[in-house]
Amino acid sequence: MKNFSGIWRTSGVAIVAPAALATLALLAAFAGLLLPGAAFAQGQGQDKSAPLSQVQRLNRAPVNKEVLRVQLPRPTVVKLKNGLTLVLEEDHKLPTIAFTMWIRPGQLADPGDLPGLASFTAGMLREGTEKRTSEQIASEVDSLGATLEASSRFGVSYTSVNASGLISDAAKILDLLSDVVLHPSFPASELAKFKQSEGASLEQRLSSPAFLATQGFRRVIYGDTPMAVASATKESIEKISVEDLKRFHEKHYVPGNAILGVTGDFTASEMRATIEKYFGAWTGAAEAPDKFAAAVAPQATKITLVDRPASVQTFIIVGDRAIRRTDPEYYGLAVMNQVLGGGPQARLFLDLREEHSLTYGSYSRFNAEIYAGDWQASAPVRTKVTGDAFDRFLYEFKKINDEPVPQSEMDDAHRAIIANFALSLEQPSQILNDWLTAQYYGLPADYWDKYPDHIGGIDAAGVQVAAKKFVDIDHLQWICVGDRKEIESVLKKYGTVNVVDVTGKAEN
Amino acid sequence: MNLMRKMRAAAIVGLGFALGLGGVLRAAPGENQAASAGVKVPKLEFRDVKLDNGLRVILVPDHSAPVYGIDVCYNVGAHNEHPGRTGFAHLFEHMMFEGSENVAKGEHFVLVFNNGGNMNGTTNEDRTTYFEELPKNQLDLGLFLEADRMRALNVTQANLDNQRNAVQEERRQGIDNQPYGRAQLDLDNLAYDNFAYKHSTIGSMTDLNAASIDDVKDFFRIYYAPNNAVLTLVGDFDPDETLAKVKKYFAAIPAQPAPPKVDLSEEAHYGERREVIYDPLARLPEIDMAYHIPPGNTPENYAAQQLTYVLGQGESSRFYQRLVKEKQLASQVSVQSDARIGVSQLYISANPRPGVKVEDLEKAIDEEVAAVVKSGVTSDELAKAKSQLLRQFIERRRSALFTAILIGNYTVYFNDPNLINTIVDKEQAVTVDEVNAVAKKYLVQDQRAVVITYPAADEKASSKGAQ
Repeated sequence: MKNFSGIWRTSGVAIVAPAALATLALLAAFAGLLLPGAAFAQGQGQDKSAPLSQVQRLNRAPVNKEVLRVQLPRPTVVKLKNGLTLVLEEDHKLPTIAFTMWIRPGQLADPGDLPGLASFTAGMLREGTEKRTSEQIASEVDSLGATLEASSRFGVSYTSVNASGLISDAAKILDLLSDVVLHPSFPASELAKFKQSEGASLEQRLSSPAFLATQGFRRVIYGDTPMAVASATKESIEKISVEDLKRFHEKHYVPGNAILGVTGDFTASEMRATIEKYFGAWTGAAEAPDKFAAAVAPQATKITLVDRPASVQTFIIVGDRAIRRTDPEYYGLAVMNQVLGGGPQARLFLDLREEHSLTYGSYSRFNAEIYAGDWQASAPVRTKVTGDAFDRFLYEFKKINDEPVPQSEMDDAHRAIIANFALSLEQPSQILNDWLTAQYYGLPADYWDKYPDHIGGIDAAGVQVAAKKFVDIDHLQWICVGDRKEIESVLKKYGTVNVVDVTGKAEN
Repeated sequence: MNLMRKMRAAAIVGLGFALGLGGVLRAAPGENQAASAGVKVPKLEFRDVKLDNGLRVILVPDHSAPVYGIDVCYNVGAHNEHPGRTGFAHLFEHMMFEGSENVAKGEHFVLVFNNGGNMNGTTNEDRTTYFEELPKNQLDLGLFLEADRMRALNVTQANLDNQRNAVQEERRQGIDNQPYGRAQLDLDNLAYDNFAYKHSTIGSMTDLNAASIDDVKDFFRIYYAPNNAVLTLVGDFDPDETLAKVKKYFAAIPAQPAPPKVDLSEEAHYGERREVIYDPLARLPEIDMAYHIPPGNTPENYAAQQLTYVLGQGESSRFYQRLVKEKQLASQVSVQSDARIGVSQLYISANPRPGVKVEDLEKAIDEEVAAVVKSGVTSDELAKAKSQLLRQFIERRRSALFTAILIGNYTVYFNDPNLINTIVDKEQAVTVDEVNAVAKKYLVQDQRAVVITYPAADEKASSKGAQ
């Protein structure tokens, strides 16, 4: 059963990017590699006694040079009278239906003393409505073999409510979905149970190296903003009341704030009519979206050591603030990121794993939101090679800053992104997410039609511009989750080290 | 390496395949006539051909998207390993990406991703499988990559040492640096006496260190022969043309003598096995249990899958409602079962809420198990389980790649590619009486293994208290 291994896996860090970025991570699988072996002989700080395991290219495999260009099918987009936007994507392969609702503002609207309020509000939607108990909801969902879940993830500017099932149950699923979104009752007895369970989850998360690294990273790079929060706290879990949930729901869960995406085996006009039946009476005008600064003053580079005694690895995250989803630099960052760390064919993986045997996997990614999100690279490495991992990261960061990416590697990158759109055509939920992204962030209606050309328009100079700005070695923030007594002295060779415990409190 | 049972519960279907494959291990689920009347899962027409060298080829045209999935499933897994070489099947899987006669080390990743594709390889106790998904105009590429490494794997000491490190880091990342990592390994170790399933797929550090170039060469010769593999293609292609290409790339690879058969039988146990772990990385205790159930693709295993769903699938399931909601003893609970070639397991895992004693939670679990053994499941519960299984199976059929992987598994595990079309009916046929009989026969304390994990801090606290 659980004995199961992959040759590679994307990093264990919880994805804090919007769903569409997770999608992009899959889409944008490219980045040619082929650094000549000689380039690696210059690597600093390596044990030269062992022969390197060389990555090469023979170019003997039969490759069709023609890129299969496809167009994403356009959804039907309608705005109902009450302000609810619908994005309807027909897909007739299987007898199923899936709903995805995005409701802003999500966790970024949490009051300062109640981190987790949006997340609690979403999590409590299923725990009782004006006409159904928590158990009835669970039982109805499971009896249909359906899914119904709501979450407001940290760092994401909206709450998501998702439901899915067989197309024959579409009306029943819509009835459940609309009931939990429109009429939750937030029973006090259920809130008490929910708090218990959240308290336990919080405790469990503090044992996860990936969570601790993300928590540390967010605190360092987002400073005194709502984006710095990575979870509820013991105090906020205690404090959140039924009234808080009701207030948050009443204020923010309004049709003007929401987009409902649907994909499945239906016709768009009929689905619109059905949705109007369930959501037509919902009222509430859109709130003005929160405004966030486009640019953030960079901080001098430093290292934060999260002390996790008994660790046998150091989990490293390194990165900095980056861009908003609508910034024109998006394409340059996307191409640069994929060359550097966008998969097992990218530079970081081939260097840290395939050449230098430091890790099971090293990747990079970025998160572009309504605020300037972050770019980050990461790798879990065995404790004793923590310094070697720093050397390899620095080597690759410097290289992508200083040397133009060779044309063949640029060609690979462009081809990979564009050709990968074909794969998304069998994943209607992915296509829907792409269109929801366009709708939510206010991107043009033909955004995905033009996307391949924008990506193709980024040349080696464009990659270098992005590298200099976002992989700026003097301003990168390093987070290392590991055993302090084993790694602190090594880390000090690379810069100022601040030590914190798993809760983020400074250690002496 | 996805050893986390909790992650498996959250198996995603679709392109996020590193996780999504979790579902494959449970030789997929079925359908419920009552709850899903009128829902038809489209049947797949496929061609099933054996080349002269013994390679079994399954071709499934599916023109719904301009892509294809290719899967090569080898009939070898951790159960074929010998004492002293645990973890070898998986280490070998890594070597399959280290180059062959016409593909350099690392070039596989580069060729697949840079042509718009996606790929991975996975190993479990019963099989090792390799797969790619690509745009349809790259049909030759996928076939070439799989054929070249089946025909002429290139092995060097430097690459072996490199991948030994990668695998050891995989173990640290997934097990040694995670809370409850040891519990995962120890549970199977207790639950089986037969070495085939007793040892872990990831293997011990000592055994990984002992693996040699000769081991790699022998393993390749014995197990990576065309007559020990199934090649499955699903997607937007013409089957005649594709079969001709398959022959072009694979037909000249020589067959090998059939690999030795492994005895997967497990003698009955006499008495519960139990272990306590003090885990320095855990912050809360955990209870892990395993009950023997019959091998996959048997009526009893299908009934056990339904039983698993009644106990633990969804928030309306018995365990969630009783232990998490009503009694508020557990912060989370999961019930899962697998469908191996040999004796399989039904696993229960739960964490007590902070402040709740492990013994009280275990007692409550025992009471739920006793209740289902004594009184059985209701027809409503079974109908619900069948709806859930049907829905999940339909979603697994969405992706060409995932469908190819499923068919490859069914063929290697049960010699039945057509299970892709019949498994739903097999699930549908399960009755309340069959589920109840399985509960009575297999949820037996004498036949179970239990691992209790406490945070190491608790050990210190309790020994101080004793002084």
